[in-house]
Amino acid sequence: MIIAFRTVLTRLITHPVFILAAIAALFFGSAFLSGGTVAILGFLMLNILLAQSMNLLTGIAGQISLGHAGFYGMGAYASGILMKTVGLPFVVTVPAAALIGALTGYLLSFPAGRVREFYLAMMTLAFGLIFREVVREWDDLTGGAVGLSGVPSTTLRTLHVFGYTLDGLDYFRVILIVTVIVMWLVHNFIQSRYGRAFYAIHASEVAAGCLGIPRAGTKQLAYTLAAGMAGLAGGLYAHMIGYLGPESFDLARSIAVLVTTVVGGLGSMAGQIMSAVVFTFLPEKLQVFAEYQFIVYGLILAFTLILLPRGLAGLLLLPPRFIKPSSLRHAVAAEVAIRPVETDKDAALVVQGVTMRFGGLTAVDDVSLELHPGRITALIGPNGSGKSTLVNVISGIYTPAAGSVRFFGETITGLPDHRIAASGLLRTFQDPRLVPRFTVRENLLLGAHRRYKSSALAATLGLPSAAREEAQFLGTVEAVTRMAGISDVLDQPLESLPYGYRRLVEVGRALLAEPRAILLDEPAAGLSEAEMTLLARMIRAMKEAGLMVLLIEHHMDFVAELVDDVVVLDSGRVIYHGDIGGMRQSPEVIAAYLGTAETEHA
Amino acid sequence: MEEFLTLLLAGVSVGAVYGLIAIGLNLTFWTTKTMNFGQGSVMMLCAMLTATMIAQGWPQVLSILAALAVIVVLMVFTETYTVRPALKIEGSMGWAVSTLGVGIVLQGFASLWFGSQALAFPDIIFSAIDDVVVFGVHMSLQYLAVLVLALVLVVAFELLVRGTVWGRAMRAVSMDADLASVIGIPVRIIVLGSYIGSGVLAGISGILVAQIGGTVDPAFGFELVIFGFVAAVLGGMGSTTGALAGGLVAGVLQQMVGGYISSAAQHGMAFALLILILVVRPQGLFGQREVVKV
Repeated sequence: MIIAFRTVLTRLITHPVFILAAIAALFFGSAFLSGGTVAILGFLMLNILLAQSMNLLTGIAGQISLGHAGFYGMGAYASGILMKTVGLPFVVTVPAAALIGALTGYLLSFPAGRVREFYLAMMTLAFGLIFREVVREWDDLTGGAVGLSGVPSTTLRTLHVFGYTLDGLDYFRVILIVTVIVMWLVHNFIQSRYGRAFYAIHASEVAAGCLGIPRAGTKQLAYTLAAGMAGLAGGLYAHMIGYLGPESFDLARSIAVLVTTVVGGLGSMAGQIMSAVVFTFLPEKLQVFAEYQFIVYGLILAFTLILLPRGLAGLLLLPPRFIKPSSLRHAVAAEVAIRPVETDKDAALVVQGVTMRFGGLTAVDDVSLELHPGRITALIGPNGSGKSTLVNVISGIYTPAAGSVRFFGETITGLPDHRIAASGLLRTFQDPRLVPRFTVRENLLLGAHRRYKSSALAATLGLPSAAREEAQFLGTVEAVTRMAGISDVLDQPLESLPYGYRRLVEVGRALLAEPRAILLDEPAAGLSEAEMTLLARMIRAMKEAGLMVLLIEHHMDFVAELVDDVVVLDSGRVIYHGDIGGMRQSPEVIAAYLGTAETEHA
Repeated sequence: MEEFLTLLLAGVSVGAVYGLIAIGLNLTFWTTKTMNFGQGSVMMLCAMLTATMIAQGWPQVLSILAALAVIVVLMVFTETYTVRPALKIEGSMGWAVSTLGVGIVLQGFASLWFGSQALAFPDIIFSAIDDVVVFGVHMSLQYLAVLVLALVLVVAFELLVRGTVWGRAMRAVSMDADLASVIGIPVRIIVLGSYIGSGVLAGISGILVAQIGGTVDPAFGFELVIFGFVAAVLGGMGSTTGALAGGLVAGVLQQMVGGYISSAAQHGMAFALLILILVVRPQGLFGQREVVKV
């Protein structure tokens, strides 16, 4: 019943006819409304822009801003000062406001790659508070605490664009069109590989990095875009009332934006609109609300994420999706799931003398091994013998204390994980690290991230080149799911699926990255017999396509029928290297697994 | 010269309080890797309650203790209803937003009850004009008293953490909460205790800053927490010595920039310092680089 309601409502509000009708109604209908109402509608548009900006940053990319009013204010003062003091025209000052906002976000998020998100949250809080103080103190430029008055605006009838004087109604229409265009662009962006990368960083930075998504750059892009949107909203605001005062950009404003986004539902663009409507009209219509606003906002922040984590959108709408429906319809059928890998004389992964220490503990001690195209190497050893640590070193999550890793002749030791993934060295995790809210299809498509060629601009503008590329990868996704035997759950959210499926999806996701080498960390753990057969089929297909495969596994029957070479680790050292028959005879291996009998020197 | 020394004393004294705020932030960071984004409101509330009770004719010591008791209850509530449930949410978003929310609610109530005007804060030991002449330089006794008190608290805190069973238990929880719980350490109580301790330190810092500034208003605190955070980051998150050193650096720089350049630059300085240290040396001066376990 609820699902049916959500489906109907979601279909309705995302239908192009409905959206166009709503825009047309606002555009033409505003002519019949009072000046005051039109002004409130203008503020509504700005609040929607701010909420979308916060949603892109917080809901999609998982980064926090507690100082959005600072970005908004940067834009407002930039446009106001540039027009009033410098005399630049509207068509220059408003884009400049967006640029200055974006630049602020870019600079602010410089530490993004090095610290966890709450540091940036505190920095944005600091930025918001300090922005206001600086505006108050720097009165030569900003008018200080008295404010900056006489900014060309519609209220004063001093805002001219190309010789035409804009009134309140015209200006509302300008804001409406800008808001619609920005939302269309953001929507394209979210439903592209960039939006998926943002959300992947949100879900697991490590997993995203191992798919070739750079965490620092992605977070910084999120801050830059979000701050740019807030700056744009500020630039538009500056010319609505013709006066800018520091108290319009205080903590309360930042909190209001955050509240709107959290209540609307993190991640949902439609939810942001609903929420912006509520929080624009409620204080206008309900005086009591205005009085207790701060307390209500505080209560909302304190409890909404705990009690209603998906906000209004979670109640009323289906979860947002990250692939364009039109791309889905045009998916190009792919012949093979794994393309044969081109090899050359350097085609090998050479691990030489790698040592990794954690404080006093040496987890991996002088380990060397080689992987070659078309060969499956098993890495075996008791729990705690350093297998996963070695994989973490090879994939760039840890930097080793000594030793080197070479891949196709290039030294990759110490490179960041996303660079290593970009060179075609992929891995899976012992505990599958997928995006729980993504469907299987979206998760798999994330694997192809590093293979996309079209630019962010092409994706944002929805250009045909970007759409074609997406359609192609969607075809490969289907081919991979056929091989993995998971075609029937393609459009189910991953969090609804049993464990075995998640493992298969993770292996499939690594394959979509078109790896030249793949490191599988206990891929068969927790799989049923049938699922293990599917997994074995995939691993054989990798071998046939010429991939280098490293397989960490405890399940000996599974290993025995697949592998070419075996490396056994114990307490971080290699104790055996050879074929599997020899391993079973090796006294060291037997001792490591079963323990030695008490002997005379024990 | 006299101006320089006056600014230096003010900087050191305010800086020691920043260090105290930073230690409060560190305390919860140790046990849960969280910090109270609404800490500023805790400082404000404690100072406001103290000022109000003294104005009602309560004895000073009793007023301070009563205000701190309110803070203890508040922190128990914060930890139980907004931090613990929010830890389930991926990343820092849940607790950062929920603790900020509590801070905003407190600020909202404070504006409602006390009005948004600043309340005069009474002189507790010395008044702003008491001073002592050292080497021919007038030094404010209030600043000196705040400095001494803050330093005593920092040392006492360090002794408590290093020397007592509870301090060791807390360090065990900070290393590995699951393991600590397995060997019988009451993790739940330690975490709650860290929030209470953090709140009490914030409350005392609030009283000290209000004493120096002479007034307290509902918005008081937010910016101070930023300075506390700068101190914590500068010294290295989690390091007590670092917090004090970071606080002193931030305090002195702030006073010098404010005194010799401008008060606009003074506000920008803290922020510039924060961004610089996070870019150049995110582990701070005394902290250790965080190893992310995968």
